[in-house]
Amino acid sequence: MDSLYLIKIGEINLKDGNQAEFVARLKRDIKRRLRGIPSTLEAKEARYYLSVPAEFDEYAEFALSRTPGVNGWAKARRCAKDMATVRQLAIELMREKASAGAKSFKVEARRSDKSFPLGSYDIARELGGAVLEALPELRVDVHAPEALLYVEIREQAYVYTDGQKGVRGLPVGSGGTGLLMLSGGIDSPVAGYRMISRGLALESLYFHSYPYTSQEAWNKVRDLAVVLASFQGGMTMHTASFTELQLKIRKDAPEDRATLYLRACMVMAADMVAKKRGLNCVVSGESLGQVASQTAENMRFTGSYSDFAILRPLAGTDKEDTVRTAREIGSFELSILPYEDCCVLFSPKHPVLKARYESEKAAFDSLGFRELVAASVDAIETIELDYPGPKGLPKAPRR
Amino acid sequence: MNTCYLDWAASAPPYEDILRASVDLALERYANTSSGHPAGKAAAASLEEARALFAGAIGAAAEEIVFTSGGSESDAIILLSALNRRPPSGKAFNIVLSAVEHSAVYAQAMQLARLGVEPRLAKPGPDGIVRPEGVAALVDADTAIVTVMAVNNETGAIQPLKAIGEAARAAAAASGARRPPLFYSDAVQALGKIAFKPGELGLDAAGFSAHKLGGPRGIGALWLKRPIEPLACGGGQERGIRAGTHNLAGAWAFARAADRAVAGLDEARAAAIELERRLVEGLARIPGATVIPRGRRPDGADYSPFIVSIAFPGLGGETMERALGDLGVAVSTGSACSHGAKERRVLAAMGVSAADSFAAIRVSTGRATNAAEIDFFLERAAELYGRYGPAR
Repeated sequence: MDSLYLIKIGEINLKDGNQAEFVARLKRDIKRRLRGIPSTLEAKEARYYLSVPAEFDEYAEFALSRTPGVNGWAKARRCAKDMATVRQLAIELMREKASAGAKSFKVEARRSDKSFPLGSYDIARELGGAVLEALPELRVDVHAPEALLYVEIREQAYVYTDGQKGVRGLPVGSGGTGLLMLSGGIDSPVAGYRMISRGLALESLYFHSYPYTSQEAWNKVRDLAVVLASFQGGMTMHTASFTELQLKIRKDAPEDRATLYLRACMVMAADMVAKKRGLNCVVSGESLGQVASQTAENMRFTGSYSDFAILRPLAGTDKEDTVRTAREIGSFELSILPYEDCCVLFSPKHPVLKARYESEKAAFDSLGFRELVAASVDAIETIELDYPGPKGLPKAPRR
Repeated sequence: MNTCYLDWAASAPPYEDILRASVDLALERYANTSSGHPAGKAAAASLEEARALFAGAIGAAAEEIVFTSGGSESDAIILLSALNRRPPSGKAFNIVLSAVEHSAVYAQAMQLARLGVEPRLAKPGPDGIVRPEGVAALVDADTAIVTVMAVNNETGAIQPLKAIGEAARAAAAASGARRPPLFYSDAVQALGKIAFKPGELGLDAAGFSAHKLGGPRGIGALWLKRPIEPLACGGGQERGIRAGTHNLAGAWAFARAADRAVAGLDEARAAAIELERRLVEGLARIPGATVIPRGRRPDGADYSPFIVSIAFPGLGGETMERALGDLGVAVSTGSACSHGAKERRVLAAMGVSAADSFAAIRVSTGRATNAAEIDFFLERAAELYGRYGPAR
């Protein structure tokens, strides 16, 4: 038997001019994630309808939960547009809810087919009455119902109970392309997720400093990129070796500038990689004031080493909210794995807080980092990470 | 790749002939040692033979030996037995342990704290050596157990067990204890490495592990001179101290490995002191590098010559371990069992500076280590330290 999924799309509907392009992109994206699975996807009015053989429910639900542009989805039942049939289906679905322990319910009806003889209010009232009669153990609660019954009267009737949230936002790629500076921390994967959900198609760049950072640290960042790939539908990941730069900073830079100069070198490298790859912007996980060195002055200084817009979606986000998002998207447990001692080693005790723009640039430029950065970018290693599907998500190893 | 194994304290390469012979024994004597039929009796006889051989290696009587799964279980059996006793005063018991114990003792003691047994930590001096008077000051009439390891697994410090035992017993008697606390030592890094006869040290119990001296994993022993009430029970094997079907092949191989290691002790120790000297002297030629504790003398007197803790200040121990590993040199950052733990508890307890502690690695040698390996290590370490260490 096939399962039917009703898909709600949101913001795309607001985009008058290029709606067709957005719709095509979203449809292509969902279909691509279900490659190899016999599925059909139809777009009608404000809803998409996906059907897949029931044994692939897990794949469909995984894809719909992670595709940007999908506002919400539900596994629905479709039937003829007559109240007797709808009533029967409504009772059947609510019986399942009642046996799962629900005590109260509410009916939400929507009628987009204005030729249907009953209005939304009447449909809800009639179905509520029918459910109460058939299942007297239930009661109606319009404020805090334990179960919700949805009915949509469109070209056919759709009935469902469990509405799920989607990522929302815009289809991947509709906002252009960018390069995410990805580390093993909590913030940068969340920053990447936020921009992916706004329609950016991201590649990621990780700075590896062997032997200061380990293979395990690299594996962890790759796993984080796979988590992002589950939302984006795949990801290209670049690794640049930064050991020589770390050593040069250690040798030539004042101790309190170590972090600042390292970040400037990273931005410079990101700029070069983005240009090489033809991408449109750079994304960073910086958050204002999160650590002492993430100040507006320092961002101005580091940001001056790229002429791309540097998007910092977490600049104004509280850490607690970032952590909540990290937990929701499944990156948190990976991010907190303890594979890194390079930061401990290189972080100055008292980092410079407010770089003075002109003098700092002059000092940094005089040290001649550009050549080493370019060498590092020339030697980047690039891997393609596939969309992982529900079985391919990385898990934090047990410690 | 050149491989240079300097992590013997984590696990020693097994004696190949003994390990292979033990597989034959396992294939032949598969019957349960507790069974009454002839095959079971034959297996039981082999086990008792192993017990007598092992007892001989530590100068003890066969009936004082309990086979366990290893050092950690031996430690746990002793520590958990504190839960089976109540002090006459009716107050809670306490146990006194050194602050540099292996996690098998330390973590167990911390768990006992949650179960109402108070752990009291005796700090070592900056040399890593526990002072008898420091232990005695913590002992009172309610002290159930005093536990101090024989040889520290990170620094190699040899603890003065005899003096500690005497001081602890005197302190208990002076506090009016009806009987002295049980005096236990985790001797995992001592057996086969230094002369170690628990009966001569005033101990009541000691724990051993096979794989640290060339035996197989998953087998160890407890030497028990004084009866204890174990917390875990079961089928009554090993006089009820350690239930579970016997690991006959393991016990057999352990006994043989221990016997061989102890028989070759003088020679191995002399060779180890030579290697230790070579290592410490070579280290002195690497600017900045140091032994921990600073000032340790390579004469085998106060430290096991088989274990040397080293720091390359300014270069993380984990980084050094990783970079050396990829050049074919196996060392570790202290206790392999606590890998991943940020804190260096043992070194911190000695008052080693955070900088030295962060940079510490452990070099440990064994019967097959040779001078070329020490030289190879020194060359690679000097190279890496020069390249990745702090700017000079």
